Amino acid sequence: MPECNNPLWPCAMTGAAACLAGFDGIAVVIHGSSGCYYYPTTLLHAPLHGTFICEEDVIFGSEGRLVEVIDGLAGTGKRIAVITTCVPAILGEDIRSMLDGHDVILVDSPGFSGDVETGYGKALAMLEPGIDPASPGVNIDGVCLFDPFAAGNEQEVRRLFAMASVPVGTVFSHDRLDRAFHAAAFTVGTNGDFPSGIGEHLGGMLGFDEIRTTFTRIGEVIDGAVCDPVFAELDQQEERIVRACDKYLHRYDPPVAAIFAGSSYAAFAARVLGQYLDAEICCTGIRTCHGAAATGMVEASGLSRVKELIHTHNPDLVIGSSFERSVCGNAAFVGIIPPLRGSILLAPAPRAGINGTLSFVEQVLNACMDKKI
Amino acid sequence: MTSNPLPVNSSRLGGCTLTGAISVTSHVRDAVTIIHGPKGCSHHNVSLLHASWLDNDHALLPELVSTGLSETEVIFGGEELLRQAIRHASGHEVRAIFVLSTCIVDTIGDDVVAVCSEEYGVPVIPVPTAGFLGGTFHDGVNNALIALAATAMPCQKDRGINIIGEMNLEYEVEENYAEIARLLSLLGLNVNLRFVHDVTYDQFARLGAAQLNILRSPALVPVGEYLKERFGTPYLPSFPHGLSGTLSFIRSVAGACGIDGQAAASGECRRQEELIAGFADLSHAPASLEPTHAGTDEILVAEELAAALDLAAGTPENNARLPVSAAIGTAGTRRMLHRWRRAIHA
Repeated sequence: MPECNNPLWPCAMTGAAACLAGFDGIAVVIHGSSGCYYYPTTLLHAPLHGTFICEEDVIFGSEGRLVEVIDGLAGTGKRIAVITTCVPAILGEDIRSMLDGHDVILVDSPGFSGDVETGYGKALAMLEPGIDPASPGVNIDGVCLFDPFAAGNEQEVRRLFAMASVPVGTVFSHDRLDRAFHAAAFTVGTNGDFPSGIGEHLGGMLGFDEIRTTFTRIGEVIDGAVCDPVFAELDQQEERIVRACDKYLHRYDPPVAAIFAGSSYAAFAARVLGQYLDAEICCTGIRTCHGAAATGMVEASGLSRVKELIHTHNPDLVIGSSFERSVCGNAAFVGIIPPLRGSILLAPAPRAGINGTLSFVEQVLNACMDKKI
Repeated sequence: MTSNPLPVNSSRLGGCTLTGAISVTSHVRDAVTIIHGPKGCSHHNVSLLHASWLDNDHALLPELVSTGLSETEVIFGGEELLRQAIRHASGHEVRAIFVLSTCIVDTIGDDVVAVCSEEYGVPVIPVPTAGFLGGTFHDGVNNALIALAATAMPCQKDRGINIIGEMNLEYEVEENYAEIARLLSLLGLNVNLRFVHDVTYDQFARLGAAQLNILRSPALVPVGEYLKERFGTPYLPSFPHGLSGTLSFIRSVAGACGIDGQAAASGECRRQEELIAGFADLSHAPASLEPTHAGTDEILVAEELAAALDLAAGTPENNARLPVSAAIGTAGTRRMLHRWRRAIHA
């Protein structure tokens, strides 16, 4: 059944905006109404522009309005990217020809064309990023403004790269625009749901095992990389996690956890909970069907489905968004995906890197002990 | 942010009718709202409501169903999708179903009203919304209130007062309501119905019983006029703003209800004098008003308050910028004064 109770995931237009607005040097224009503009603006906390079309533009054509906005941005020195919303996408206007004479990236990603990941990928493809063999280091992938942990992830991977004397290549998608066309030949991921596909993928940064494997690969392929300090910190910090979790298990049974996230973070949470807390993962619901069949996860894109899964499995720990928190009853809760409403997030917290795993385990233990599982 | 709206057309920034209508229909506890459009439109609004409701310590979400319009329906039409969604929703224990459309549905030409007029065994009420094609956020609020009011029948009048069109997405919606209820209680009056805020569908039957409707803001005058015509109920066009506005409000309510409001107004006046005295430390503080997001009413209220406190005009080097927002009643004014003190001190 195509209908969906309380859809929990944004549309392709929002994903496209999340990608392009991360690049310094792009002026992003949402070609649509103010209603479509407000949501990505409030969600992404990034400067966005809008055409704010109204009914008369639909009747008489939106060209004049679009060109007016683009002309207004022409003197900023930024490359302009236009993202279409639902109505302009089906009006039959030839937006490309309207924009003849302007150096504009046009991304056709109306809301009905898919979800946030679809729009992110489409926008990045339209940008046509590329590798420059002369660019040193390793790119950081999966840094999407939509992810509340993106800034923390980037900071943490930069810290680890600095420890290992590895130059940072291009950060997708949070960097200067010109760096998108001069990416390094290698890439590590922070959130696999938002891949760039640029460079040889050396691995991810979610969980200590993955970090070890990835830095082993980095040591093999990057001249001058000195990864021992990272390995030493991994050993030291993992020992702290083990002790904290062991102490917890002295007193409490392992949690029975339900995980709701994108597939990448969901897999990370399941690995960490199983490895350190011997947790039972009673269900893993992911927002979109990307990869669901391969991993045995189930799709949970609406609140009814989430409620049903929680009711069926009765977890005592729920990992998810504040939507899940609103329906998880007395279970302990830890946030991992947006939205995380109802709590104040000021500091850039990571999920990737060493500090990302430390932070996640710390929150899980505190949440479980608060609930006295 | 560059909004770059055409100066001749402020409606460009007016938001979405859908959001306005949802802010109303989502407050009917035993009803379902179906949004005929792509999932993304519904998610944007679900997320907004989620944030707004959490701000008001209300963790549960309303029942919003998206028909999940995709490229296929954009090409071939989405009426069958809507019909299926209504049938599915009507199979659950719901008292009513509200159907809201979106701009894309209006553009492809689905006949939403015709689909809603079919028999489903439960009231199915279409609310005229079509995203930005249907007007602005405020049009969505008004359309929803009028559509819901049309389901109520005239009934015997009593002494109660209706509160019409509370801004359900407002951070301080409950505090503003509490202040209006307090002011009414000074006159011995009670609230008959919060139309529409956290109610059941059957409570709409009491809509016509009130002797007076109090609108949240003048933007709701079309709703006030509709209710006046349908139920013969007079209305006041706005919640009271600021000190003198609150006293005027008490007198207006008393006049409309045939009550002597002199004692209530005098008592409230003394309360306000004590309030101002409690902020005497702000007297002569160098400050200026920060009216960026304020309307004319809010600015007038702030100017009145600044005069009552005898604030000094600041210089660029020594100048606290005082936030100006809607100060509903004496309590709202008190909260704004605390924010002013914060601005002067930090």
